[in-house]
Amino acid sequence: MTNKIAQLRKERRISQAELADAVDVTRQTIISLENGRYNASLLLAHRIAKYFGLTIEEVFLFEEEEP
Amino acid sequence: MKQRKNLLPALALGLAVGLGVAAAVLGDRLTAPVSGVAFGLAGAIGGLAASRLIMAHFDRTWTPEERKEIERAERDERNVAIREKAAYSSWYWTLYLLWGLFFLTLILQGGMYTALVSAAIVLHCVFYMVNMNRWTKKL
Repeated sequence: MTNKIAQLRKERRISQAELADAVDVTRQTIISLENGRYNASLLLAHRIAKYFGLTIEEVFLFEEEEP
Repeated sequence: MKQRKNLLPALALGLAVGLGVAAAVLGDRLTAPVSGVAFGLAGAIGGLAASRLIMAHFDRTWTPEERKEIERAERDERNVAIREKAAYSSWYWTLYLLWGLFFLTLILQGGMYTALVSAAIVLHCVFYMVNMNRWTKKL
């Protein structure tokens, strides 16, 4: 799963700390999400999408993994 | 209120120190297992109490921002996932270690220790099954 968090954040000039504060996670979690090391839970994905005023599908890109 | 909060750890620390000193003073007059238990208990109680007191001290020195950040780090979903994965892996490693000890005690013919390790393995598996059942109902 990939996401557009870094791109959206840069477009809107929001720092990682500000986003982390808004969605109630640590900055390290935002860094891990942006690097693709960590996949957000549905609840966090919802909070992030809501923060940007977008849908989950617009922020998070789900890709079917090869079996 | 803060003083009352620290009273129990302070008393426990006193008890641990007392127990350790008593075991050291009595020395050879205590049998080896009793001495071992006394020192072990003193270490465990002392460690727990000291860590409580140290945490309470830091708790008082944190600014509201620092406290907020620490609380957030506590409930952060990635941190929670890390803790759960670490605990899960640790349980497996503990089980392998217990199996190793079990076979070692069998080879060395340590009757009581074999029984103790066997009981620990059974308990480990029982806890695992109980928790599986608990989480099956929750999720």
